[in-house]
Amino acid sequence: MSGTFRFLDEIALADMAFEAEGDSLPALFDAATQALIQSLADPASVAQTWQQTIDMEEPDIDTLLFEWLNRLVYLKDAQAVVFHHATLKLNHTPDRSVWRLHAELIGAPVDQATQDLRSDVKGVTKHLYAVTQTGTSWKARVVLDV
Amino acid sequence: MTLNTDMQVNRIDDYLWEIPPSEKAGMLVPARIYASPAILGAMDRGVFDQVTNVACLPGIHRYALCMPDGHWGYGFPIGGVAAFDPEDGIISPGGVGYDINCGMRLIRTDLSLSEVQPKLELLMTELFRRVPAGVGSRGFVNVTRREFREVMRKGAAWCIANGYGWEEDLDRIEERGCLNGADPTHVTDYAIERGINQLGTLGSGNHYLEVQVLSDKGIFDREAAAAMGLTGRDQVVVMVHCGSRGFGHQVASDYLKVFEKAMRRFGISVKDQQLACAPFRSPEGQDYFGAMNCAANTAFANRQVITHQIREAFAAVFDSTPHALGMHLIYDVAHNIAKVERYGDGEWLVHRKGATRAFGPGSPELPDCYRHIGQPVICGGSMETGSYLLVGTDRAMHDTFGSTMHGSGRTMSRAQAKRTVRGEQLLRDMKQHGILVKAVSMSGLAEEAGLAYKNISEVVNTVDQAGITKKVAELKPIGNIKG
Repeated sequence: MSGTFRFLDEIALADMAFEAEGDSLPALFDAATQALIQSLADPASVAQTWQQTIDMEEPDIDTLLFEWLNRLVYLKDAQAVVFHHATLKLNHTPDRSVWRLHAELIGAPVDQATQDLRSDVKGVTKHLYAVTQTGTSWKARVVLDV
Repeated sequence: MTLNTDMQVNRIDDYLWEIPPSEKAGMLVPARIYASPAILGAMDRGVFDQVTNVACLPGIHRYALCMPDGHWGYGFPIGGVAAFDPEDGIISPGGVGYDINCGMRLIRTDLSLSEVQPKLELLMTELFRRVPAGVGSRGFVNVTRREFREVMRKGAAWCIANGYGWEEDLDRIEERGCLNGADPTHVTDYAIERGINQLGTLGSGNHYLEVQVLSDKGIFDREAAAAMGLTGRDQVVVMVHCGSRGFGHQVASDYLKVFEKAMRRFGISVKDQQLACAPFRSPEGQDYFGAMNCAANTAFANRQVITHQIREAFAAVFDSTPHALGMHLIYDVAHNIAKVERYGDGEWLVHRKGATRAFGPGSPELPDCYRHIGQPVICGGSMETGSYLLVGTDRAMHDTFGSTMHGSGRTMSRAQAKRTVRGEQLLRDMKQHGILVKAVSMSGLAEEAGLAYKNISEVVNTVDQAGITKKVAELKPIGNIKG
C-alpha cells in the first residue's frame, strides 16, 4: 500500500493545488493528508505533543475525503496546531452507503520560533475537485484556498 | 490581438470590451471586461469563461463585469462584479469569495521618512510583535462567545466601544464598519471556533501590513489628497490588507454545502459548482446573507483592532501618542462582499469579488470630509512595487455599480514563484532596495515576490483612463509584514 502526491502549478494561480495518488483508498487518503499537512508546515519541524482522535462518516468517498481535509484546516485554526502525521483507518458498510474514517492525528501547538511554517490554508475548495479510480489505483485532485 | 478565449470579444473603447450573450448558451446579459489591450491580451482563459458563467445567473442586471486586475477565481473571477434583482435574483458565496470582507485600510501619520528611517527596524519589530501573522496565529483580544456574537453584530463599533479605536474612525469605514442584517444564529459553531481567537491577526497569503511613503511627485490629485490629510513631503502612511480570517472562510464553506442542496430544490443549474447560489429572498439566501454580514463585520473589527495595535506601536517607538502623531484613518474599504445598494430608481444586490466599492462625489453614503471628492479607493500592489490611492467617480456609479479594481492581480503561480525566488534572498534584496520585511514564513514570502504580480501602474492607469476611478496618489513601501 503506497501513496504519493505532487503540487500542481497552473491550476490555481493565487492558491495551491495538489494531486494525490494511491494504489488503494487508504493509500490515497494517506497521500492527500500528507499533502495538506506539508502545505501548512514541514512535519519534520513539528513535535508530537498534541493528539486528537477523529471519527467521521459520509455517504461517499469523495465527500469523506473532502470533509476530512477540511477538518484538518478547522483544527489548525480552532486549536492553533500544525501536524506531524496522521494514522488513518477506512471502512464502509457492506452496501457502501456509509464510509467511515477513524483518524489518530498527531502534531503540536503552533510555534513560530521552532517550526518551519508554510501556508495558512483557509479551506479545501470544490473547484476542479475530483476523486477518480482507474483499476485499483485512486487519484484525487484538490485545490486549497490560501 | 490574440486572446485566451475562442469567444467573440468586441471593443467598446480603448479600455472596455464586451462579450455578447450569443457567445455562450444561457447568458442573460453581456459580459464586460475593463482592460487595456495589453492587459486583455494577458488575461487567463478563466476570466473569459467565468465572467460569462456569471452572466448566466438568475436575476443578473445589465452586465457581468470584470476589472483589469481580473484573473481566475472560484466561481466568479477575481475582479468580478455583478448586480442582481433582490426580488427574483440570487445570492452566491462564489460572488463574494471565501475571505468575506477581505479589504484594505490606510492610516496617515504626520511623520516623514527622515523621522521614521532611523527607527524603521525598531518600528517593524514592534509592529511584527503586536500584529500576529502566519499559520495558526492568535490575536490579543480575548472574547467570550457572547462577546464574539456582539462583534459579529456591531463590527468596528464594538472595537471603539471597547477602547480599540477612535469614534471618528467609524465615519471613514465603508458602511461605518457595520453591515445591517448580521445574524449570528445562522453561523455554525465550527465558524465561531475558527474565528474567536483570530481578532487582530493578519493571516498569510497575500495579506500584509505595510509602512509606506508618499512623496511629492507621488501625488496626482492635490485637492483629493489634501482632503485625506496627505501632503506628500515623504509622508509616512500605513496600509493593511486582511479580512475575516478562518471565520469568513468557514461561513462560505458551510453555505456552499447548503446552496448545493438548495439549487436542486429551486431548480437552479449553474455552469460551475463554485457558483452555487440560492434566491436572495429564500430562507437559505437570507440565512447566508445574515451569516455573511457577521463575517463582514468581524473583518471590519479585525482591521480596527489591528489599527489600534499599529497606533500603539508607533506611539511606543516614537515616544508619543497616536493623536500627536496624527494617526487618522483615511479609509477602510471591502473588496469581497455582497450588499444591497441603490442605483437610479432601483435597489440591487451587488456582488464584488476582488473588486472595490468606488462611490462618486456627492454620494450620500460618504462622510462630509469626502463627499466633494468621491470615496477613497485603496489598491494594494505587490510588496516590492507599491500601491495606489484613488477616488470613485460618477462614471462608476453609472457604468459599474460604483465599483473598480482592488489590486494588481497575480500572473505567476505560488509554486513557480517559489522555484524562481528564495525567501531569504528576497528578504536581502528588498532590504538593499530600502524595504524592510518581517515574515513568518520564508516560503510564503517567496510566493509573494513582486515578479508574481502584474504591473499595478498599468492596471491603475486602465481604471483611471476608463474613468471609473481617478488616481490620487502612489505609495511606496519601506516596511512590510507578511504571514
